[in-house]
Amino acid sequence: MVNFISIDDGRAVGQEVHDPHPHRNQLANPSNPCESIPFSLTPTSPLQSTSVPPSSRSPRLNWSEQIDTGSSIYSHVLLSISKDSTMANTIRLYLTCIRNTLEAAMCLQNFPCQEVERHNKPEVELNTSPELIMNPVLICRNEAEKCLIETSINSIRISMKVKQADELENILAKKFLRFLSMRAEAFQVLRRKPVQGYDISFLITNYHCEEMHKHKLIDFIVQFMEDIDKEISELKLSVNTRGRLVATEFLKQFI
Amino acid sequence: MAAVAVHQFAECITCHAWSPDQSMVAFCPNNSEVHIYKLFGEKWEKMHVLSKHDQIVCGIDWSLKSNKLVTVSHDRNSYVWSQEGTEWVPTLVILRLNRAALCVQWSPKENKFAVGSGAKSICICYYEQENNWWVSKLIRKRHESSVTNVAWHPDNILLATTSTDGKCRVFSTYIKGVDSKESESSSSDLKFGEQIAQLDLSVTWAFGVRWSPSGSILAYAGHNSMIHFIDDVKSNPSAQSIPLRDLPLRDLLFLSDRVVVGVGFDCNPMIFTADDTGLWSFTKFLDQRKAAPSSSRGSQLSEAFGKLYGTSKQVPSNDTVEPSKTRGGAHENCITCIVPLWKRGNTTLCRFSTSGLDGKVVIWELDIPK
Repeated sequence: MVNFISIDDGRAVGQEVHDPHPHRNQLANPSNPCESIPFSLTPTSPLQSTSVPPSSRSPRLNWSEQIDTGSSIYSHVLLSISKDSTMANTIRLYLTCIRNTLEAAMCLQNFPCQEVERHNKPEVELNTSPELIMNPVLICRNEAEKCLIETSINSIRISMKVKQADELENILAKKFLRFLSMRAEAFQVLRRKPVQGYDISFLITNYHCEEMHKHKLIDFIVQFMEDIDKEISELKLSVNTRGRLVATEFLKQFI
Repeated sequence: MAAVAVHQFAECITCHAWSPDQSMVAFCPNNSEVHIYKLFGEKWEKMHVLSKHDQIVCGIDWSLKSNKLVTVSHDRNSYVWSQEGTEWVPTLVILRLNRAALCVQWSPKENKFAVGSGAKSICICYYEQENNWWVSKLIRKRHESSVTNVAWHPDNILLATTSTDGKCRVFSTYIKGVDSKESESSSSDLKFGEQIAQLDLSVTWAFGVRWSPSGSILAYAGHNSMIHFIDDVKSNPSAQSIPLRDLPLRDLLFLSDRVVVGVGFDCNPMIFTADDTGLWSFTKFLDQRKAAPSSSRGSQLSEAFGKLYGTSKQVPSNDTVEPSKTRGGAHENCITCIVPLWKRGNTTLCRFSTSGLDGKVVIWELDIPK
């Protein structure tokens, strides 16, 4: 199953191509940007794909597929924007896409472990039964920012890589997210260690969906993503301000 | 044509079943116990707590004629409870499973019940009068993954199962001594554990298999938001697959040969009907909801346009991603179980109850035109 979604001038047209079932053609309403992208995250099916080069002229947003031949099969959604358009718009589209994917992916149910009797483990962490795990979905805003969503029958793992423009932001992000990860019990849905290649990971199980409302969980994740960027910018600002103040004070003695 | 009654019993309900006279309801409040509540006038009172299992009870079925409760749990055990006086007396059923049991259903004649399990096998249990206990026979070979749902055909012999390997299989469960031999069916079909059909329609996990009341149509739901209807499985199967707009279904119920109710992650029962030619289609959602505010989306669109073509100055981002709308409606969380409520004397079913992860049991009533 290949998902090809292109956004023209703020509107989204979603279509599934290369579909083994021709009657499953779901065309999203063009007037509703990213409203209902009924992502059917299927567990198997190797992908055929082409990669669509991003256009650079008009403010168009292209989502393209890329091949991945490794053992993990995932669809790589790339979002690229031209220099003219403003950044504030893409964050919203990126987050809306993540929200819609999570709404489709967070359909979890209680499932006892098939490998060990009397145990109940999150299948996405266990990774032993391939039929219970779905295709991971990777949503990229650009090369630096992406979000990997891996689902299984009773658990979902969301890993994020936040934007780190320079060395200072790198250090700040690492320290801040490590601070949060170490206090993962307080968050309940946070994973103590991020997945390899990402900055922070969430692990949501069916028990969380039973205790808490699903839409509230999704709100939390999306809000978290928004706030992380703001937090790191604020931290960077305060570091720079403080550095400037200290330097000014110190150099006053040499005037 | 909507929710007749809403009862909040617990924080979260795994599964439920009604007594034959519909005055009592048995459910599992997401732990290892089964609670039985009885309706006294307007109020529900907890009558019994059945606590023999060690882990969560995932399947309950109440037989209508013999008034027996069967419960299965993730601890690989099953108990058949019979009411003696005011107490419920359990009888352990040795299922010989080495993984959790996932679902259970009494057969139409209530002399057998089927249990689907995570051991990739099905247990058919029947009562042996000489030894005064329940014996289980296993169908081990065919499944490649956990069996999620089982459904008996009205003839008491065919059993349909769905599994997390995406396939729906139909088996024969003829047991010598328990089932009487039908004269018309061939003897080759009657072997126990014989697979009659394997349906490969769903790419993803399959749930919620049911036979129509006449036994001619089989329906099951796939996790890729599809529902599949198969006509005439034994001889000449013809299938229809309908994609759903929203989230996948967990369980189904045939109200008649032409009306199906599906429940699932949408928290809203869906009605599917077949027209005269036998073509199935989605009809409507059962629950009235507050209309989704489409106007807000329109204003977002114009904001987006403004951003793209208009000024390039830094505006404070007040266009935050809109939070999810809370759904109004009877159920607030996923609906996991749907149970028919037969009215005495009625041949068509128009009442059913649903239970979900929000801890509510909701009774629905629907007028079906003949």
